[in-house]
Amino acid sequence: MAHGNHDALYSQLAARGVTRRDFLKFCGSIATLMGLAETAIPQIAAAVEAAALTPRAPALWINGGACTGCTESMAQGMTPDVATVVLDLLSLNYFETVMMAQGGPEMIPGYQEGVVEAKPELTAEGAIKTMLEEGGYILIFEGTVMTGFGGNALRIAGKSQTEELPEICKNAAAIVAVGSCAVDGGWVAARPNPAEGKGIQQFCKDEGIATPVINLPTCPVNPEWVVAMVIDVLLLGQLESGAILDKLDDFGRPSLIFGQTIHDNCPRRGHFENGEFVYEFGSAEEAKGYCLYAVGCKGPQTFTNCPIVRWNDGASWCVESGAPCIGCGNANPLSPGGNWVDVGAPFLNRMPDLPIAGTTFQPSTIGAAVGAVAAGALLVHGIGMKVAGRMDGGAPYEDVRAHDRKKGGGK
Amino acid sequence: MAHPAHYREAHPMVFVLTHWINLIAMVSLAFSGFYIHYPFFAGFMGVARGMHFFFMFVLIINLTFRIIAAFFVKSAVSLGSREVDTDIKNWLPQKANRHQFLAWIKYYLFMKKDHPLGAKYGVLQKIAYIATVPLTFVMAYTGFSIWGPTMDWSFFSAGAGWVGGYMYMRVIHYFLMWVFIVFTAIHAYLANVEGFAPSGLIFAWKESEGLHFDKEGNPAGGKAH
Ligand code: HEM
Ligand code: HEM
Ligand code: HEM
Ligand code: SF4
Repeated sequence: MAHGNHDALYSQLAARGVTRRDFLKFCGSIATLMGLAETAIPQIAAAVEAAALTPRAPALWINGGACTGCTESMAQGMTPDVATVVLDLLSLNYFETVMMAQGGPEMIPGYQEGVVEAKPELTAEGAIKTMLEEGGYILIFEGTVMTGFGGNALRIAGKSQTEELPEICKNAAAIVAVGSCAVDGGWVAARPNPAEGKGIQQFCKDEGIATPVINLPTCPVNPEWVVAMVIDVLLLGQLESGAILDKLDDFGRPSLIFGQTIHDNCPRRGHFENGEFVYEFGSAEEAKGYCLYAVGCKGPQTFTNCPIVRWNDGASWCVESGAPCIGCGNANPLSPGGNWVDVGAPFLNRMPDLPIAGTTFQPSTIGAAVGAVAAGALLVHGIGMKVAGRMDGGAPYEDVRAHDRKKGGGK
Repeated sequence: MAHPAHYREAHPMVFVLTHWINLIAMVSLAFSGFYIHYPFFAGFMGVARGMHFFFMFVLIINLTFRIIAAFFVKSAVSLGSREVDTDIKNWLPQKANRHQFLAWIKYYLFMKKDHPLGAKYGVLQKIAYIATVPLTFVMAYTGFSIWGPTMDWSFFSAGAGWVGGYMYMRVIHYFLMWVFIVFTAIHAYLANVEGFAPSGLIFAWKESEGLHFDKEGNPAGGKAH
């Protein structure tokens, strides 16, 4: 029987161009992301098998306000990587973006003409309903929760998302927030944030929902992390024992993935230490592949393993392809205004613009202004001291303190 | 001509040394800090960071030593006096500093003609010196919060979360540098504007004659001239 299961999984994988070898190699890299030894590979493979072959998918993917880039990152239409295929097996892709046309029964061809009988379980709406009733699924949430405009910034099938979301979150066993928007609102929640966007963790907190949230920031998310976390949650006992939550950092991110800065593992780091910088794009320094610090690289304070896992099936990643890191992995789920755009923009400057009195200033402008005012004040004061003739030893001392004089003292 | 005498008892040798070390550390940290903030010439980042990471420990150890020494070393009770007492008593507000805050402000704003009486230091001077202590520790806290080896200690990472992330911790660290620069500018200006005798003492341990004061901060033998 177990053997039959193996074959079933591998034939499903093979049908999508993933060999048994690819799959096991992938399980190996997942083990690394989860902090497990190679000996855990069979355990991971077994967890995927078990989950993929149950009648009901363990995971559900829901979109909030987003550019859909995370979906794109997963989908990679031309050459789906192993992660995508595995996630396909594990999740009910209730992508509102791609499944809209399947909405209710009226969308089934022939239904409205009365030719076809309504089978609710065949529709996206029907499938999600069953899942919600049964509960215990992993909710993969992409995008910002947009609470502004009475929740009307995002309406699905006649309802606002903020109306539906509490139930979806409450019945989930765990929420995996994919992409910075889901984590803390991301760029959708950047100043001035008209849609009043927030991350799913903040939303749950505000709604009094206790479902654990695993945050996977970056814009877009890295598919390998998503699968690693879904499997991590699936591995028996992780959730019940709280083991999975122990692996998260202060921002609810898996510490193994978000524990080191980009700068720590950057291939340009040697140039940084040598003081070899790109000061301008299109320059000879850029052609030499120098460090991008002076054009605003946020690598030193951005915690992700991008340089190791890389993107698009390990092809490359931002800094390697020549762009300074813009810090999309910076996340502050429970601190509004902490999203990576507010923290990082303008991206080609080292420091963010600070909003003061209705406009924004660079910290160095503020610093220099304060320094200049102080220098000017001292200069003016110095002239005053000269005029008052105090330069040479100061004015003569008072003979008694004003306070003592008032008290009638004095000598 | 009305400046007090500057005797070595005011700044015993240890404090001349701590002040020198502090000055060198501060200048090195500010210079390397400016460079780390924006590498304005090529080829120096490794050295700049090395400098910064070395002098940040020098600064903290020096300050800690200065504070401990204050409880053991005796220094003059007021400028222009050779009478000594435990330094910390002279460093913190003294009885002779009371009720003089407004007088000092008025004096510096040219609204009062004669020089206010002080103690070991004047009121504003004491506020500024005392403020450098927590300020340096806050500087160290913000610095260790963005330093690789310590940034993930929960004591530091909690602060980073609180201010909105490591980038803002850097912004705060950077602003604090300007606070130190402004402090030092005002401090160096005021220390020297009425003559170089104070600097002669704190840097070269050179004594100079002048008015004498008693331990209540009043001119010794009656009126000042
Ligand atoms: C603040 C919110 C948003 C902004 C500023 C924004 C902006 C944009 C822009 C500038 C485009 C390109 C349009 C073009 O090709 O001419 C675009 C396309 C798109 N947006 Fe958004 N968008 C937002 C929210 C969303 C949301 C919430 C969704 C879905 C849930 C979404 C889904 C899409 C899709 C699927 C496309 C591609 C359309 C196409 O290829 O024709 N967007 N968006
Ligand atoms: C007191 C102990 C201090 C500690 C522990 C400390 C630590 C640090 C660290 C770890 C960095 C980041 C270096 C890097 O990532 O390469 C840094 C940057 C910096 N430090 Fe300090 N520092 C201290 C004192 C000072 C002082 C006294 C000044 C100036 C008066 C200063 C000015 C700066 C500046 C301007 C930066 C650059 C910040 C940026 O643009 O990101 N630091 N410091
Ligand atoms: C431009 C360089 C500096 C000059 C010319 C200078 C000058 C002086 C002078 C003349 C005194 C003795 C004051 C008196 O006896 O009335 C003094 C004391 C002091 N200075 Fe500076 N200073 C400099 C830099 C600094 C810096 C960078 C700091 C700290 C950030 C600092 C902190 C102090 C403190 C705390 C004292 C009190 C003495 C003690 O605690 O031992 N100074 N300084
Ligand atoms: S390019 Fe960015 S991450 Fe890489 S070494 Fe330079 S500053 Fe660090």
